[in-house]
Amino acid sequence: MNAPDRYERFVVPEGVAKVSYERDTKIINAASFTIEREDHTIGNIVRMQLHRDENVLFAGYKLPHPLKYKIIIRIHTTSQSSPMQAYNQAINDLDKELDHLKNAFEAELARHSGSQSRQY
Amino acid sequence: MGVDNSLRLGHFRDNFRVEVVRLTEDDMEFDMIGIDASLANAFRRILLAELPTMAIEKVLIANNTSVIQDEVLAHRLGLIPLKVDPRMFEYMSENDVPNEKNTIVFKLHSCCERGSSRIKVLSNELQWLPRGSELTVSTEKPAVDPTSRPRTYTSFNCSQDSLPEFSNNPIGPKHDDIIIAKLGPGQEIELEAHAVKGMGKTHAKWSPVATSWYRMLPEVVLLQEIEGEIAEELVKKCPVKVFDIEDIGKGRKRATVARPRSCTLCRECIRPDGKEKEKEQRIYWDKYVALRRVKDHFIFTIESTGALPPEMLFTEAVKILEDKCERVITELS
Repeated sequence: MNAPDRYERFVVPEGVAKVSYERDTKIINAASFTIEREDHTIGNIVRMQLHRDENVLFAGYKLPHPLKYKIIIRIHTTSQSSPMQAYNQAINDLDKELDHLKNAFEAELARHSGSQSRQY
Repeated sequence: MGVDNSLRLGHFRDNFRVEVVRLTEDDMEFDMIGIDASLANAFRRILLAELPTMAIEKVLIANNTSVIQDEVLAHRLGLIPLKVDPRMFEYMSENDVPNEKNTIVFKLHSCCERGSSRIKVLSNELQWLPRGSELTVSTEKPAVDPTSRPRTYTSFNCSQDSLPEFSNNPIGPKHDDIIIAKLGPGQEIELEAHAVKGMGKTHAKWSPVATSWYRMLPEVVLLQEIEGEIAEELVKKCPVKVFDIEDIGKGRKRATVARPRSCTLCRECIRPDGKEKEKEQRIYWDKYVALRRVKDHFIFTIESTGALPPEMLFTEAVKILEDKCERVITELS
C-alpha cells in the first residue's frame, strides 16, 4: 500500500538534481554528495576508488533508507585537494579502468573463439 | 595529481587479466584477475537488474474458459523468455502509442475439442504477429467511414517482417516446450500479448540472466611438508580431490595441491580427527593446511536466458556501468 512505484528506483523526477553537493560547515575540506536514484552498484565502486586516492582522509557511502532511492557519499580530504576534485578524479579514473577492462575482455573473447575454431 | 593516477592506472593495466574458461551459446565461465570485489559485485548487480530485455507486459484476453485464472495466465506469459535482441527496440512510456519500434505482438489461440483428452498449451503456440494487433478497439459510435480500417490496440506503420533483422529470423520464445496452461475438453484460450522493453529492476521477468554469480579463487596452502602416510590420509580426505601424491625419489611420497580451483571450502581437510582414532594418534590438521581465498581473483559464471549470448551481456553490462559513471559526474567545480 505504501510501497513506491518500481520505476522510482531509477527515474529521476523533474526538478531534482541527480547529484547535489553540500560542504560541511564544521570541518574544512569535507563534503557530502547526494546522488539520486542510485544504489550500492555505484556507491561501493566510487567509495573503493576514493580509498585509493592518497589525499582522501575519509570516504564512505550510505543509503539512508532502503525505500528512499538515493545515496550519500561523504569525503574528507587533506588540504592538497578538495572533495569535489577527489570525487571527479575518482570517477574519471573509473571510466578509464572500465574502458581498459572492456578492451581486455573483447581481446580475450577473440583469442578464445579463435583458438576454439582452430580445434575443429 | 596526474602522476598518482597514471601510476594507479598503469598498475591496473599490468595486473588485470581475463581468462575465458568455458563459452557456450547459453552460459559462460570466465576469470577476472586484478579487480576489486566492489567492481565484481557491480557487474553481478547490473547483469541481474539493469540490462534491458523484452518480455510480455500487456495481455488482452478475448476468451479464457480454462481453469487457469486470467491473472495467473498473464503472469506465466510474462515469465516466458523471448529470443529477441532488445537493442533493436525502444522503451515505451505511458504516453507512447504502441508501434513497431516498441512493441512485439503475439497471439495465442488454443482450444481443446469436446471428446478429446486433455491437451497442454506449449509456448510454441505463441504466434508472432509482425503487423501488429488484430483485436479492434470497440467504440460506442459506429464507424463514420465504413471503408477505413478499424482501430486496433497498436498502430504499426510497417510490418516488422520487412525490417532486415527480422525477415529471416522470426521472433518467438526461446524454448518451445514451456507449458503455459493445460486445457480440458471444451476449454478455450484466446488472447493477444504485447511485449515491451524493461529492466530487471522493475520486474524480474525482464532479467536477461537465469542467474549470474561469482566466487573468489580458493587458495590451499600446505604449512608444512606432508610426507608418507599422512600424505595418503590427506589425499583421501578431500571429497573433490584437491590434493595429489607426488613421488620424490627413494619411495617417499609427498602431498601437493593439484586442483585448488575445484575446492569447495568444505573444510574437511582441516577438521581435527575425532573418535575414529585413538587420542594419541589424532592429528590436528589445521597445523598442516591453511584455507584462504585469493582476494582479487574472481570466477564469474553467467547463464543467459537466451535473449543475448552471455559474452554480449557482459559487454553491455560494462557499457551500462560506464554510462552510470558519466551520469554521476558533477558539472560544478
